[in-house]
Amino acid sequence: MTEQKQEKTTHPFWVMVQKEMSDQIRSWRFLILLAIIVLTCIGSIYGALNNIRQAVSDDSDFIFLKLFTTSDGTLPSFFTFVNFLGPLLGIGLGFDAINSERNKGTLSRIMSQPIHRDSVLNAKFTASIIVIAILFFSLSFLVMGMGLITLGIPPTPQEFWRVVFYTLVSIFYVAFWLNLSILFSVRFRQPATSALSGIAVWLFFSVFYGMILNLIARAIAPSGQTTVDEYIRFQELMLGLQRLSPSTLFGEATTTLLMPSVPTLGFLTQEQAYRYIPSPLPISQSLILVWPQLTGMVAATLICFAVSYVLFMRQEIRSR
Amino acid sequence: MTTWMKKHIQLIVSIVLIGSILTAFNAHEVHAQDISLHTTYTELSVPPGENIRYSVDVINNTSAIRNVRLDVTEAPEGWEWSLRSGGWDIQQISVKPNESWSINLEVDVPLQIERGSYRFVLSANGGEATLPLVINVTEEGSFQSELSSNQPNMEGHADSNFNFSLELRNRTAEEQLYALRAGVPDRGWDLRFVVDGQRVTSVQVEPNATQTVRLEVTPPPQVEAGTYKIPVQASNNNTTAETELEVVITGTYDMELTTQNEVLSYDIRAGKERNIDLVIRNTGTAEINDIELSSSPPANWEVTFEPNRISTLAPGESTTVQATIKSAEKSLPGDYVTTITASAPEVKAEQQFRMTVETSVLWGWIGVLIILAVLGGIYYLIRTYGRR
Repeated sequence: MTEQKQEKTTHPFWVMVQKEMSDQIRSWRFLILLAIIVLTCIGSIYGALNNIRQAVSDDSDFIFLKLFTTSDGTLPSFFTFVNFLGPLLGIGLGFDAINSERNKGTLSRIMSQPIHRDSVLNAKFTASIIVIAILFFSLSFLVMGMGLITLGIPPTPQEFWRVVFYTLVSIFYVAFWLNLSILFSVRFRQPATSALSGIAVWLFFSVFYGMILNLIARAIAPSGQTTVDEYIRFQELMLGLQRLSPSTLFGEATTTLLMPSVPTLGFLTQEQAYRYIPSPLPISQSLILVWPQLTGMVAATLICFAVSYVLFMRQEIRSR
Repeated sequence: MTTWMKKHIQLIVSIVLIGSILTAFNAHEVHAQDISLHTTYTELSVPPGENIRYSVDVINNTSAIRNVRLDVTEAPEGWEWSLRSGGWDIQQISVKPNESWSINLEVDVPLQIERGSYRFVLSANGGEATLPLVINVTEEGSFQSELSSNQPNMEGHADSNFNFSLELRNRTAEEQLYALRAGVPDRGWDLRFVVDGQRVTSVQVEPNATQTVRLEVTPPPQVEAGTYKIPVQASNNNTTAETELEVVITGTYDMELTTQNEVLSYDIRAGKERNIDLVIRNTGTAEINDIELSSSPPANWEVTFEPNRISTLAPGESTTVQATIKSAEKSLPGDYVTTITASAPEVKAEQQFRMTVETSVLWGWIGVLIILAVLGGIYYLIRTYGRR
């Protein structure tokens, strides 16, 4: 009787998720990634705390959010680090999801169990997402806790929710890179290939994409006498191209969420600024402002997942 | 300065003329008596208010020391005089044998005096020697100042200024420095004396001359309708002139622009319209006509009023105007300031409205739809490829 109930409550899918999670958490790879991220973030928070007095004297609103955005000049701020290292975490957790199982021959063994075929992929994805979510929420709440201890001021509800939304956006951002690397791990047989291609994409977007955009901008920039409309069109085109990069989307989203006084992500015309009172936006308005960015990131994540799903389902699984 | 000199030259000339005529008579007296009194200018002409100082020699013709008691035995009524020597007020002096002593008889000619000839007699030892002195007052001294205004009554609104033109005439024989004072009818009134464009508290007027003084009266903004009296005084130690001015306040113009519930901040969707019920209240005491509504909104915003114009608004009454604010399509989320002004020729009321722009959630829903479409695609994939 009790056994039956046990079997009923724990779905095989969740058994796999639990197994995957324990595998991830116990792996050296995860520990190394965790150490890198935690150490850099603690470093940046330490810098922010040293510099918070200066930042607060400039503008005393939203002190808690400043913990995430202030830097003391030597180390980048917290959110810059997350922007840079988040992809590495995603790629690290996902690049050998399928192909290592396949190479070790364990995939066909799992498939011999009475489970759906897609459960393997779904479980791997879900487990990684849960690990990432726990990691990021822990980091954010640790930062808030450190802020509470050192500043002695509790965060306002708005600040709290902004941090929560920021954490959710970070999770989505990492989830995108996770899915991309899972896609590579499905596509490429060798884990090294998939890891390299994931890192290549990451490097491309974080380093080379900006350079390429500069080249394009120089080529198509309106020269000589330009009207304002022409210039605005050019700038909008460049902004649109920049937004193809997920790190730009994430950067814009986090800037808006962590800096409530940002009124727009494009550029401000004189007309719009006339009789405008610069003031912090309510959180709902900030969310509406970054909604396209969030949509883009979530959609990219889901599309990556869909592609890897199709590829995985179509692949042949043979025992070696 | 020049007039002072002129007066003295005139005086000296007349004194010399009269003096030379009388010298023979005086010289004759010296030998006759033991004590004789001598002064050079025994008859002279002065304007009213003049101060005459006679230098009188008391001569002892004997070879013994003589005590001489001095007195003025005859003087016109109301004239001030004093006998002084060596800085003292003296009654009696002692003169050495065959010598003379000089004393001063100081006479103040009164300011208010008839024209004519006045006689002083200085006598020594009760009539032993007499010195008659004649003072001719050349002009009539009235010793009065006059302050008048052609238009002592003015009417106006509470927020208007009243400019009274006052004539200050110095009828005294001397140049006078007048301190100007005006009585404030109530707290908050601002009264200013202006001469030649300068604010003044006192004014100097030549004898028999007229000075125009302007009095600028600014009533307090919340003054009640009514008649207010302003006593004006120009005075110094010698003379005083007074007049009374009257200001009639017909009513104040005051207007208030607010909303039905006094809320001045509103939310507005970018590119959408928002109606605000404005309340215009006449808080003054006079009727306000031709109130026009205008606005200075942010760029590309439109503000329309219904009605656009209020022909008349009685005191204490209020009226409602519906303002429709349409925000620009490209407004930023956040706060914009829109100023709405109700202006009549007499008065203006201004109010700033803080419009909080909210951007459209349309794109938010489109984003949700995109994600739902992708999720639907994945569900379709799961149905197609998995679970078979």
